[in-house]
Amino acid sequence: MAGPRYIADPEDQVQSVPLEGLIVLYHRPSGMTHLLAPPGPQILAALAGEVGDAEAVLARISEHFDLAADDPAAAIAARLGELEAAGLVRRV
Amino acid sequence: MRHALALKIGPVSFRIGSAWREPLAQLERLYAGYPAADEVADFTVRLEPATPWRRFARPSVAIRGDYTLPDAAPLPLPLGLLAAEMGMNLQMALGQKRYLLLHAGIVARDGEALILTGASGAGKSTLAALLGEQGWRFMGDEFGLLDPETGFLHPFPRAISLKNAALALFDGADPGRLGPVLRGTPKGMIRHLRPPADAIARMAEPARPALILFPRYGRDFPAEDRPVGAAEVFVRLTQASTNYVSLGARGFDALTALVAEVPARAIDYGSSAEAIAMVERLWAARA
Amino acid sequence: MSGPESEIGEQSGDRPSRRAVLALGAAAASTVVTIRPALAQTAGSVLNCEIPVPSTQAGGNYIAADGSLVPAGTAGAYPPAPRPITGEEAKVLLNGGPTPAGLNAEASQAYANYIRRLQAGMSGFTCYASLQMPR
Repeated sequence: MAGPRYIADPEDQVQSVPLEGLIVLYHRPSGMTHLLAPPGPQILAALAGEVGDAEAVLARISEHFDLAADDPAAAIAARLGELEAAGLVRRV
Repeated sequence: MRHALALKIGPVSFRIGSAWREPLAQLERLYAGYPAADEVADFTVRLEPATPWRRFARPSVAIRGDYTLPDAAPLPLPLGLLAAEMGMNLQMALGQKRYLLLHAGIVARDGEALILTGASGAGKSTLAALLGEQGWRFMGDEFGLLDPETGFLHPFPRAISLKNAALALFDGADPGRLGPVLRGTPKGMIRHLRPPADAIARMAEPARPALILFPRYGRDFPAEDRPVGAAEVFVRLTQASTNYVSLGARGFDALTALVAEVPARAIDYGSSAEAIAMVERLWAARA
Repeated sequence: MSGPESEIGEQSGDRPSRRAVLALGAAAASTVVTIRPALAQTAGSVLNCEIPVPSTQAGGNYIAADGSLVPAGTAGAYPPAPRPITGEEAKVLLNGGPTPAGLNAEASQAYANYIRRLQAGMSGFTCYASLQMPR
C-alpha cells in the first residue's frame, strides 16, 4: 500500500550546523530554526529535492546506514509527521 | 516635543523627547560624561501624557516612540526616568537590526568578553555590575550586542538598574553616580547607577567573546558549577534574544558561531564573594 | 536522543564493515525542536502592561460569566471593569488568587474568563501572552 509521498527543499535552501550530536538547522524559505536529532537530518537528505514515500525513505537511508528500530515503518511515519509539522517536509 | 535629550550609548544613539522637563533633567545627570550624540538618532523615545488631561492632573507618562507595545501601562510622572529607560529598552528590543541582541550582562578583560546570561532575576545584571567595580571593563547589564560580521560584542553601557536588595552591594560607589530613588515601580524599589568611568571612555571598543556563564543566585544555593552543552546554550540564547528571528540567516550564523566556539558553564552561588571567586577561577581555566 | 554509533563487524578474513547504525527512534519520541523565541516574554519583561476589560473596540458591551461579550444590560452579565487590569493582577486572578483592588469579586471571575478568551489583535492580548511565558 503506497503511503503519502513527501518532498523536502533542496539542500541549498537549508543551513545546518552540528552541535553536540544534534543538528541546528536554518530553513531559509520559512526563516525558522530547528534542532534535529538523528534520523531527522538523514531523512531530510533522503528527500532533498526528491519525492519519496515512507518505504522509499527507508530504502534510501539503508544505502548508508544499518537501521535499528523495533518497528521501522512506525518509526519512519512518526519522524515524517514531526518533520511535516515543522514545515521541513511537505506532502505532494 | 517640549523637551528633548540626545544620548549616545555604545554604537546606538537615542533621541528622547518629553512633555515634562524633570525626567530628562534626571536622565541628563545620570548620563553625565557620556559622549556627544550623533546628529541623526537611531531610535526615538517619546514620553507623552497618557491622555491629554494627564499632562497636568495626576500626570501619567505613556512610553511612545519609533516602536511601542500597545498594552503598555503608563507610569506616574515621578517614575518618568524609569519610563525613559524602559522606552530605550523597547526600541532596542523591537527595532535593533544591525546587532544580534543577547539578554545578558557583558564584562571584558584584555579584549575578551564574558557573557552572563539567563533568566530575569537570576542575578546576571547585578553580577555584571559588581565585576565592573572589581576591575573588569563593564560593557552592559541588559543587552549584549553581537556583530554578525565579526563575531565581536559591542559595548552598550546603559545606566545599571539596581533593585531592592542588590542596591546594598554598591554602598561603596560614589553617590554622584546614583540616580533618584524610584519607589513603587512594577519591580519594587529601583535606583540607577552610572557605569564606571572607564566603561564610558571605552564604549567604542568591542571585545571577542571568550566565556559564557549562566549565573544563578540563591541565598541557600551551595556554590556549584557545571558545563552546559552547546545545543542547550544555543536554545537558551535564542530564548534570551529579542531579535534572533528578525535577523534571519545572519542571526543563525552569528549564534551558531558563538556557541560552537565559546565554552559555557552554569554557576550557582549564595553570595557575591562566591560568585566573583567562581568567575575568576572559570575565566582563568576558560581555554 | 542518541546519535549514530559506529560498529565494526568482522567476519573471518573479510574486510570489517564500517556502516554506522542509525536508530530511528521510538514512535512516541520527539526528535524535532522548533525554536520559537518569545517576543512577548522578553519585551514584556521590559515593560509593565495592562488589559482593558473589555477592549475599547467592544463598544459598551457587558461581560457574561463565561467571559464572552453580550449586549449592555443582559441579565447576569457584568459591566466593563472600571479600570484596566494590570499584568500582575491578571496573573494572580487567573491563578485563582484574590480579586484586584477596587473590583467586584463576582465580576472579576467574569473578567478572568474574558482575559482567557483574548485573541491576537484584541487589546491586552500581548500582555496576556507575556503572562503565559515562563520567566
